[in-house]
Amino acid sequence: MESSPLCHADMAGGKGSGMIAAETHFSLSRDSLQARQPAAGLDRFRRRGYLRYRHLRSYVDLAYLWRKRWFFITMMVGFALMALPTPSGLTHQGQIVLSMSVMATMLFISEAVPLPTVPLLIIVGEVILLKVDPTKVAQSLMTDSVLFIMGSLMLAVAIVKQRLDKRIAWWIVRMTGTNVYWISFGITTVCGALAAFIGEHTVAAMMLPVGVTLITLTSNDPRKVHNLAAVILFSISYGSSIAGVATPSGGARNAIIISYWKDFFYDPADPATRRYLMDYVSWIVYAFPMFLIRLPLVAALLIFTFRPEVSDMSRAISRLRTQVSMQGPMRGSEILTILIFLATIGSWVAFSSTVGLGVVAISGTIAFLVFGLVRWEDINSGVNWGVVLLYAAAISLGVEMKETGAAEWVASSVLAALNSIGAGSDIGFNAVISLLTIGVSNTMTAGAAVAVLAPIVLKTAVAAHEDPLSAGFVMAISSAFGYLTPAAQPAFAIIYASGYLRGADFFRIGWRMMIISIIVLLLTAALYWPLLRS
Amino acid sequence: MAGFFRRTQLSDRQEAAVQKTLQHLRAQRRSRFRLLACIDGSDEAFVTVRFAARFACTNDCDVIVLFVRPIDQGLHSGGLQVKLARQNMIDAGFELPGVSHLKQALAILKEEGIDAAHWPKETEYQDAWGDPAGDTKVEYRSPEGRSVVLKLKTAPDVANGILDQYELGPYNLMILGEPSRWRGEVASFFDSGVVQTVATMAPCSVLVARQSLDRRGFFICTDGTSRSMQAVRRAAVLAFMTKEPITLFSVATTPQGRPAAEEAVANAKALLKAMKIPVAETKTAVGRPAEEIVERGSLYRVVVVTDEGRSRLQRLLRGSTATEVVRLARTSVLDVR
Repeated sequence: MESSPLCHADMAGGKGSGMIAAETHFSLSRDSLQARQPAAGLDRFRRRGYLRYRHLRSYVDLAYLWRKRWFFITMMVGFALMALPTPSGLTHQGQIVLSMSVMATMLFISEAVPLPTVPLLIIVGEVILLKVDPTKVAQSLMTDSVLFIMGSLMLAVAIVKQRLDKRIAWWIVRMTGTNVYWISFGITTVCGALAAFIGEHTVAAMMLPVGVTLITLTSNDPRKVHNLAAVILFSISYGSSIAGVATPSGGARNAIIISYWKDFFYDPADPATRRYLMDYVSWIVYAFPMFLIRLPLVAALLIFTFRPEVSDMSRAISRLRTQVSMQGPMRGSEILTILIFLATIGSWVAFSSTVGLGVVAISGTIAFLVFGLVRWEDINSGVNWGVVLLYAAAISLGVEMKETGAAEWVASSVLAALNSIGAGSDIGFNAVISLLTIGVSNTMTAGAAVAVLAPIVLKTAVAAHEDPLSAGFVMAISSAFGYLTPAAQPAFAIIYASGYLRGADFFRIGWRMMIISIIVLLLTAALYWPLLRS
Repeated sequence: MAGFFRRTQLSDRQEAAVQKTLQHLRAQRRSRFRLLACIDGSDEAFVTVRFAARFACTNDCDVIVLFVRPIDQGLHSGGLQVKLARQNMIDAGFELPGVSHLKQALAILKEEGIDAAHWPKETEYQDAWGDPAGDTKVEYRSPEGRSVVLKLKTAPDVANGILDQYELGPYNLMILGEPSRWRGEVASFFDSGVVQTVATMAPCSVLVARQSLDRRGFFICTDGTSRSMQAVRRAAVLAFMTKEPITLFSVATTPQGRPAAEEAVANAKALLKAMKIPVAETKTAVGRPAEEIVERGSLYRVVVVTDEGRSRLQRLLRGSTATEVVRLARTSVLDVR
């Protein structure tokens, strides 16, 4: 092939020249580096020496063993724990359940296998190792909490699909004006108010496009407005995250702890235990102040940590105004979405104590499907069904922990340890639970952390003569304090996927937020919750 | 039963047609010099695109710029698939993370004299791994038949994504950025970085690009074996076509070996002279081959090595001289295969 004029090798510039350009007759494809066709048939064995070694090497994937090392270590540790002599005070069944919990926790943290594999292993383990009747295991998987988790995820997809984000953003800026500080506060507040009812991931997924719109409308080069991007995107995720504990429907962990309270402490024959049947409004009374107190703190922290490059966003807002105007007036489907959304929240408040959280969430989904606002295919592909399975099996394991007496045995051991370090007091006890939960939930999904730890913490609270309600709240709320990495919270994972933030940004603001949150929680537990009990 | 052992169920005439088409396709591929430049979005990695642009100096060269995006992991997002948010972003008209990097690569190609943005383009989209973003390919084809391809690929991990891409169309040269970590030959069985995995597994020649475009010249190493001579020949053609001066180099491990090294260099020079390719200078040295090559080659734009140079057992335990040079060099290294 002919060389282009660009490259007609004129070697005058190079040392040792003397060649005449026209004499070149090389073709790169023919004479230079070769593209080898992948060999077929016996060819592969004809290669010799080092190449044969290279080729054989490409078939040996020892990296598999290394990548899955935690799976093998977990299996070895688990079976070793099961084979140890049973400690006094613990049944053999209890020992197996505890070993399974340890294995599940190790797998949750290391993510050596895809996470939905863990619930499948738990189900198999309950039947084979614990000799529980398979039908009973299957029944223990589906509770109102699991139904709620499933329903709220389906509802989440339906709401995210409605694309209300630009309108919500426009409502926010109509109230806040064009100053970036106020916009950040507005986004945090509105995202929080929404996330309190429909889950943080829903709000993060819904509001992410509008967050990115505001950033890109300000500047096309993301590097020039990195701090602004951080403020806007973190406003969405922190707003969602701090509100996730405000109501029972804010997150899976809330539903899980409610189900444990009922399973562990509610006795229909004893009217004094009715308080363990947590209803929607009581939860709000306990937990909503945590959101309200932290709201202004988050807004201040964001601005203080990332000082945005621009303070006036009128350019972006005017373009947003144009885009919202181009969407035209609100359509019937959008109004219908808002009505169904409000009706679902109303039903949670009014009926959840009688029909359960899950049934209300599922009814909401039914309404979306009946009115044709969302396709089943969208729900099917938007929900990660593995998560539903994960929580179902984790709750089932928690119940087995209580049935076999394992939770009580661990609780008494933990209590002895707590007393020995002087953490038996009210604040000390709460601080230890909080730190333990934060530690675990920074390494694994918050819901799974609560599901695994709650049986032990609740039983320890009883043994320590602490209020299990208060201990449960400390735990559920602390599990949302994993602020350090993008993977620690659902809302973080979603905004991180936008590609505008770096992993280090999460740590930069996360540790400050974590300290503030722990202080607020301990103060609330010490000063506010006792007032509600009396 | 006899049919099981037959190579094909087609009639002879149809089989002949299939073989003819295959031959034609292979010949077509062989007539192109295809360069795969891999980028990861960091500023340093764009040097791969610059190298690709400089090497792609004739009309039979194609440049493929590849960005591999790992699949979104769903469980961290609390049961709602990240792809839902991603889909929302795409619906709102936003680009995926890799797209802006690929656009930047196109701008760099323009700076380097390949203005592909004005060529007619074709877009191809493929759903991959159940991800709404999937694989996207934009091909710009010039009237002279050159093509520039921007490819955004989704894969479970980056190294496999790059290696899978090789299967789609054999490449003459893969250009990778500088490795951030590099493990020993034995440890790399279990765990290795992206560049190391690709450099080890790649069936074609690999250029590990560093910031060496401010330097000039190809520093071509040879040990006198026939394989090494082949590599010298092929690398020298590339150097000649890209107007880079050629330096030939050989290392003797002992002073007694120096005459052999000098002979190897002289043979290589004679070979290139027969091809009418000028050699700027020749050098020999005595010492440990990898160290000498790294030390003396650092002033050149590209050091060229081949997969030879150690006894079999040593290669198994310590990797070849080539791998060591790739790892330690302070300039770009072309590993010819």
